[in-house]
Amino acid sequence: MPLKVLGISELQVSKTPGDVLITYSLGSCIGLTVYDPVAKVGGMVHYMLPLSKIAPDKAKTKPGMFADTGVPLLLTKVLELGGVKDRLIVKAAGGSELMDQNKVFNIGERNYLVLRKLLWKNNILIKAEDVGGNYSRTLRLEIDTGYTTIKTREGESEL
Amino acid sequence: MSIEDKIIEKISSFPTLPIMASKLMGLLNDAEISASEIGRVIQYDPALTANLLKAANSAYLGQSRSVDSLSEAFFRLGTKWVYQMSVSSLIYSNLNRPVSGYELSGEALWRHSVAVAQMSDIFCEQLKIKGSGMVFTAGLLHDIGKMILGEFVSESFEDIEAIVINEKIPFEEAEKRVIGMDHAEVGGMIAERWNFPPAIVETIRWHHQPEKAAIQSDTIDIVHVADATCLIQGFGIGSDGIQYKLNNESVNRLNITSKILEQAASELVTVLEDIDMMTSDKPAAEAVGRL
Repeated sequence: MPLKVLGISELQVSKTPGDVLITYSLGSCIGLTVYDPVAKVGGMVHYMLPLSKIAPDKAKTKPGMFADTGVPLLLTKVLELGGVKDRLIVKAAGGSELMDQNKVFNIGERNYLVLRKLLWKNNILIKAEDVGGNYSRTLRLEIDTGYTTIKTREGESEL
Repeated sequence: MSIEDKIIEKISSFPTLPIMASKLMGLLNDAEISASEIGRVIQYDPALTANLLKAANSAYLGQSRSVDSLSEAFFRLGTKWVYQMSVSSLIYSNLNRPVSGYELSGEALWRHSVAVAQMSDIFCEQLKIKGSGMVFTAGLLHDIGKMILGEFVSESFEDIEAIVINEKIPFEEAEKRVIGMDHAEVGGMIAERWNFPPAIVETIRWHHQPEKAAIQSDTIDIVHVADATCLIQGFGIGSDGIQYKLNNESVNRLNITSKILEQAASELVTVLEDIDMMTSDKPAAEAVGRL
């Protein structure tokens, strides 16, 4: 199976049967998957920060770095590939934190809140999520089936 | 022989730094590093020079002229840039091995180390803190202890992980309890044996527990916060994961705000792409993904 690895701040979409999108080391970053089970198209983004206003120049070259630029772009690209908005299945993972961290460091929580707001504005619900905690995650999406898994120190399971 | 004796024996037989790296790092003790001094050290290393030019041209991508000599790299990218790229490249031979126990494959430890060094430097710039050369070196070597402790972590990983999960304590505290030493302690001993100045030894020793250092310093605070940032953002995570504590006192002492933190993190992604050009022929974006 062709494994397509997404790095930090990357975004990918696919409609090629057999493709598997995967991203490792989700800490406070959030991995978001979007999938249309009828058109069998899907995509993933691994964004690291909530809002692009802190570095607008970076958002231009790497829109996948921020929630407010990466999430809308992911949705647009999946729709361009033939996805239909009402059928989209959206899943989220990540947003974890260090032990004892203070408010300055709560990027994970802010990443998640901005995501909720963005999706709510677009009338899209999160079907499944695995967020928070003190551990990192690997997120994987199979384009054939939409089968999504999450891997942590405790093992791998369906999301 | 006790486990601690075994570890100490391994520290005494641990390879020394490449001679070029220790020469370059030695220059740091002088107040200002000059381009000519650095140039004198590195000009005799053709492989390093080639790597530097590759990275220089990546940093200068899209510009009409290419960077094709060391003096031009100094002129266009600055002394600090040449220094950082040189030590990062030279230390590569020490750190580019897989580390068992922490399950760091291939170049992962080197990548994490470079990420922390660069993040430390970005914080120095933002916070206008001087002495960034010292901070950079300490950042680069902060996890060197993992090279030795890895095999002992590997033998007791399940015990360490169980304590971390059940008692919710940081990974290095669980290491200390199960093995008798933690990776920061081992790293500090290696740095001592390499004759690094006390400021660097102390920073490596206390990078997870700045509150325990005999003397507080910006260097320790910065490397601690930079390491925490790289871990939480996913730059080089091993099997020890992100199971570490953030010292909020360090964050407060440095006056790091959410905005500073986020800008630093976004900057790091770009900086790491240039560095990757030195060691890989793969596209930069893919290389960052392996971090």
